[in-house]
Amino acid sequence: MNGHSKFDIKGCVLSILTYLILLTSSISAVAQESDTTFVEEDFSMYDEVELADGGKRFATSKVLGQSPNKLISLGYDFQGRHDMTLDDLGSAPMSTLQVNSVQGIRIVANFPIISKTNVLVNIGANYGESLYQIDNADDHPLSQSLQQRGLRTTGLSATVFKPFNETNFLFTQVTADLNGDYFLPDFQPLSFTRYSLSAIYGWKRHDRLLYGFGFTRSYRVGEPNYLPVFMYNYTFPSRKWGIESVFPARGHVRRTIDARTLAFFGYELEGQTYRMSSLEGVGGVLDPELRRSELRIRLVFERSIKDFIWLSVQAGVRYNWNYNLDDGDFFRGFFGDQLYIMENDLANALYFNFSINLVSP
Amino acid sequence: MSRHVAIFVFCMLAGLPAIAQEGAAAIVGVWETGNGKARVKIDQAGDKFKGRIVWLREPNDESGNPKLDKNNPDESLRSKRLLGYWMLQDFIFVGDNTWEDGTIYDPESGSTYSCTIEMTDSNTLDVRGYIGVSLFGRTDIWKRVMLKSK
Repeated sequence: MNGHSKFDIKGCVLSILTYLILLTSSISAVAQESDTTFVEEDFSMYDEVELADGGKRFATSKVLGQSPNKLISLGYDFQGRHDMTLDDLGSAPMSTLQVNSVQGIRIVANFPIISKTNVLVNIGANYGESLYQIDNADDHPLSQSLQQRGLRTTGLSATVFKPFNETNFLFTQVTADLNGDYFLPDFQPLSFTRYSLSAIYGWKRHDRLLYGFGFTRSYRVGEPNYLPVFMYNYTFPSRKWGIESVFPARGHVRRTIDARTLAFFGYELEGQTYRMSSLEGVGGVLDPELRRSELRIRLVFERSIKDFIWLSVQAGVRYNWNYNLDDGDFFRGFFGDQLYIMENDLANALYFNFSINLVSP
Repeated sequence: MSRHVAIFVFCMLAGLPAIAQEGAAAIVGVWETGNGKARVKIDQAGDKFKGRIVWLREPNDESGNPKLDKNNPDESLRSKRLLGYWMLQDFIFVGDNTWEDGTIYDPESGSTYSCTIEMTDSNTLDVRGYIGVSLFGRTDIWKRVMLKSK
């Protein structure tokens, strides 16, 4: 009985020791298991696989290193001093005035409402304003309107990216904008909504190259026009340089300083037609449309300042492309011979823009 | 009769955890991300689920060395290899083919997002990374892959 007792105690001690060793081992194993760092393992077994349901793979809409999509953007835009030469209108003679500043806020929101591998659908909204400060603005009805009312644009957009397989995709975008000299919240009638449409068929050749060809109906030159477009997004093998472009609307060379800091050099052609209700009837013009288009040649710096909050700062030259006035919204194209009611000119100006952005995962 | 009912109820109750467990464990396996650039193996650890990168289409950097987590905001982790990295963490099965309360790490941006995973069929995961609220997010579709027998 005593012998049994001694044996039991010894066995018990051994059991406890074994238990402790096993416990320690398991803790160690758990600690390693929960470690987020690299654990040596042969991963070659995962090289050869097949999709369980034989499903297809699809191209994604971005290339490696491309700048992040902005879900929400709150920005401010400022153009510096420049001269404005306005054509005669009614009893007002041709005038050259000094614009001290054009500034205003810009708000953009984009929400992915369908985000699947085989289709992406984004709905967006934007608001922007241009508030003018002009010396002797009362000398001309157009400058008077700009000074007193400014220009505003409010728009909605829908973007669809539809990949058909790992390589081919279709990109489409529809936008509807209300542009004019209205004040918020009194929008101008919806009958003055201006529509733009783009469609691009493309190829994603590999993770760093995506390109496509398409067509657009756009107001980027200030008036409706139909243009071929070429999308080209490329990241060089070093990953430090890249190109992000949709010609002719915009083109930028990207320098990736690190994953959270990007710099760009390039241009964007911005434009819209603005309904100038304050000029209706002036000089016999019934449907005044200010064709505004400007080429912005710029440097852009973007940096993550806190997790998903990015700061974007851009500075450059605003080159005037179009600031003429039409009576009505119609297609002229590059070869149309319809005369403008006013042929205006803006001197080039320096500009800067900064925005705070919430970027997409 | 009442004895039979009691046995039946007992069997049902005893079986429920097993069924729930099976539903939770359905996510365990190897999955390919939507862009096909990575494969992630999801495992269960206790009542939580997590996933590690087990394959990269481009495992090496431009110098031919294994890719490191060079974009991680934590400098001490930038020397870690991406292959083997636990990019999914802390998911809990909440029923209805859904795993919540987890995070997903994007090595390309070095950002960690809140994440919810929904299994839409036995071979498809909707992996939604988001910022704060689900509205500010993006869903990636992952497909289950099977290892080819060699």
